Amino acid sequence: MPPKKIEPKKPEPKKPEPKKDAAPAAKPAPLPEPLPEPPKEPDFDPKSVAIEFSTDQIEEFKEAFTLFDRTPTGEMKITYAQCGDVMRALGQNPTNADVLKVLGKPRPEDMSIKMLDFETFLPMLQHISRAKDQGNFEDFVEGLRVFDKEGNGTIMGAELRHVLATLGERMTEDEVDRLMAGQEDANGCINYTSFVKHILSG
Amino acid sequence: MGCGMGKSRIQPNKCDRVSISVPAATAIRAALLIQRWYRQYVARLEMRRRCTWNIFQSIEYAGEQDQIKLYHFFGFLMDHFTPASSERNLISHIFRENEVCRDADWERYFCYKDIEVPDSYCGPHLAFPMTFCGVSKLMEAFKLKQQLHARYVLQILGETWRLLRILPNINHVSVCHTKEITICGDLHGQLEDLLLIFYKNGLPSCEKPYVFNGDFVDRGKNSLEILLILFGFLLVYPNEVHLNRGNHEDHIVNLRYGFTKEVLGKYRVHGKKILKLLQKIFSWLPLATVINHKVLVVHGGISDSTDLDMVARMDRHRYVSVLRPPKAIRPTLNGNKAGSGKDEDASGPAEGRRRRVRSLTNTSAPGQRNNIPRRSLHNLPTGGAQLNCSVEDELKERRRLAGFDQTYREVKTLDSDSDPEFGEPTETHGHEWKQIVNLLWNDPMPQNGCISNEVRGGGCYWGPDVTEEVLGKHNLQLLIRSHECKQDGYEFCHNRRVLTIFSASNYYEVGSNRGAYIRMGHDLVPHFIQYQASRTCRELTLRQSVGWTERSALRALRQQLFVHKSDLVGAFQEFDPNNTGVISLRHWATATERVLKLGLPWRVLRPQLINRAQHGMVDYQQWIRELSITEPKPEVSDTSIMETMYKNHSNLETIFRIIDTDHSGLISFEEFRQTWKLLSSHLKMEISDKAITDLAQSMDFNKDGSIDINEFMEAFRLVDLSTHA
Repeated sequence: MPPKKIEPKKPEPKKPEPKKDAAPAAKPAPLPEPLPEPPKEPDFDPKSVAIEFSTDQIEEFKEAFTLFDRTPTGEMKITYAQCGDVMRALGQNPTNADVLKVLGKPRPEDMSIKMLDFETFLPMLQHISRAKDQGNFEDFVEGLRVFDKEGNGTIMGAELRHVLATLGERMTEDEVDRLMAGQEDANGCINYTSFVKHILSG
Repeated sequence: MGCGMGKSRIQPNKCDRVSISVPAATAIRAALLIQRWYRQYVARLEMRRRCTWNIFQSIEYAGEQDQIKLYHFFGFLMDHFTPASSERNLISHIFRENEVCRDADWERYFCYKDIEVPDSYCGPHLAFPMTFCGVSKLMEAFKLKQQLHARYVLQILGETWRLLRILPNINHVSVCHTKEITICGDLHGQLEDLLLIFYKNGLPSCEKPYVFNGDFVDRGKNSLEILLILFGFLLVYPNEVHLNRGNHEDHIVNLRYGFTKEVLGKYRVHGKKILKLLQKIFSWLPLATVINHKVLVVHGGISDSTDLDMVARMDRHRYVSVLRPPKAIRPTLNGNKAGSGKDEDASGPAEGRRRRVRSLTNTSAPGQRNNIPRRSLHNLPTGGAQLNCSVEDELKERRRLAGFDQTYREVKTLDSDSDPEFGEPTETHGHEWKQIVNLLWNDPMPQNGCISNEVRGGGCYWGPDVTEEVLGKHNLQLLIRSHECKQDGYEFCHNRRVLTIFSASNYYEVGSNRGAYIRMGHDLVPHFIQYQASRTCRELTLRQSVGWTERSALRALRQQLFVHKSDLVGAFQEFDPNNTGVISLRHWATATERVLKLGLPWRVLRPQLINRAQHGMVDYQQWIRELSITEPKPEVSDTSIMETMYKNHSNLETIFRIIDTDHSGLISFEEFRQTWKLLSSHLKMEISDKAITDLAQSMDFNKDGSIDINEFMEAFRLVDLSTHA
């Protein structure tokens, strides 16, 4: 279903690259700073978020929320660990870091223990839905085009696997396998335009 | 963009074979983008999967509830109509479950000896007593889609019946250091799954004990083959193969869910006899298995009144169908309970009036029949003929211990097969019946407590506190049960004290779920093996598999919407007093739930069900028209009767089969008319005789004035023409 989100603000110009080596460096990099965001955002305050969703939208979110509710008494609560998934199921596209931020940066051990009810969840969802830089088809294709060394519309599956499993918010081997299932041709190459279509149409 | 949960590193760790060819920051940005989109993709698939599951499950349980309501209605007829009433007479025979009392008479009735196997028969020939080779031959034949001759069917069933009668209500099994036991859940007539389990795990043998936890039949199309194989192994390895009764081992349930139809279809001449014998066999199936005194295996579950000592003592075979309580505890017309005094609540499985029942202390115990020690056959020679002799001896010994002083051919009846209707049912029977209903029908719930199961219409939901109490009381550590389909074939709950195991893969649809079985050794730690029977679905990606199942669920849901269309239009119109023809999405969702009562997330499903919703409004008339379900060929002027027919498709079929007492598959016009009268009583609707006559006239009656039930049902099957995914 089409993601329900507020019009994203115009994407800011791409952030300046910190100076780094082109090739994978042998020297251990210092823990990278968070790549540039508007300087020093305050901690997320749910009360400051004005809800702009319509009543219909909210009813629908409640239904989805209930689908993920596993509490003993059907209390309409989910764990912190589920929060990201529920937002994504509702068409949002946060990174794990985005999710942790709206959750108030909980400790890892709290993620499957602490619970979230719908009233607390809603402003978080609203905030995430306003995020700039959601990325669209073109951004996505651009992001992959950099790996297209021969400029022929394909990228090496192995390289992509490597990137996804070792960089950014790393994926597990299983997740990578599932993502790439059926995408690589006999030479291990991926036509990235159809790859992107495949992901975006889920 | 921010950092993820894991620390991102610039250098690769292990995969030095591949170097990244682009600037690191670019690579990171690309990675983050793909990763978050992938996670969204997975989350959305997961939501679709849960929705689909909800749809299938709610329709399934609504069907069960329907069934129980129908049966309850019959019970009402039996109790409140005079014997002279024609409606009562149509159905009374299903309550006369044991017409012939004496074992010797039964033996005559089920005698296979006069049935000749013609030379033209090219299926397997069986010799008795049953051997391992015989069962193997049987399995091979079924793989080749051959059918076993009725003579052999009756022979196997007869032998099985004799064996089951001397088994206790609760099988007690020991697992020692060198042997692991295998536990399987629901099979539901899916022969491929049983064969797959045997292929992966090995066949039952002295070294390989098995427990099959009920629901062998119904829904799938090889219920009988599964039974014959399981019974075959039971006969060959009575100490190693253990069968528990499930809620589908019940002839009333079979009328609706396909087993009766399967048997009658495969055995036109002897089907009725086979069904009758199976009725008895089902009632004689043990109710539970206990492993090493620590693990309880039962089909449905437990309740706060579960008392295994009572279960062990009762005459289980009195309860041929568990759907209806014995007479003593049925309420009378004015709401007072007939007979019983102490029970707070004693009504039938439906209607939600169950409450807690205080468990009773012991009443008199009828002999040690259920405490026969099982002697091991391990130290006996394994030569074929000798082994079989020993099994015979074993059985003779058990019968002797059980108080059957004669050899089994001369056994006279005890009260063992008397009709529960004939004897004077007591309060004890009421309590016993409840024990069985709970064992076979219950489902676990996350909340504490024990409440009636409105969704299925039978049994209770029980909570973790009840699990602790019952397991504690009986000194058990784990409850293994089946009865509910699970995505991965198994699922723990109640702090891992309750384990559901379900062995019918692709139960709702190809790709809907995996099946699983349990291997358990001396340490009583369960290990799971999962599988999916269809080769096609193993090759599907997750997305394709979810999509396939989802399409099927939506088709089923559209059918449900279609059969309720006039109720739906009525409900929509309540929100449209000015008759504009459109209503808001919110009202659409509310009205739809009100009519269908399936508890589904309608707003989430909306994009899959409604093509066009302009500005949040739905043109409901058009939507209903566009549901694209064809109406079948015979056009009947009275549309309301057609709708009743669609809505009550299963009920109709069930009633037909009940009325068809000789199981011929044909009913006369008069019986057809009576069916409708019964149905309209049940639904509390008026259906005019003229409407029924018109309907009958549009049917194609055979020359002798009868119609074929199967053809009739087929002619009124709805077909979904919808082409959108």
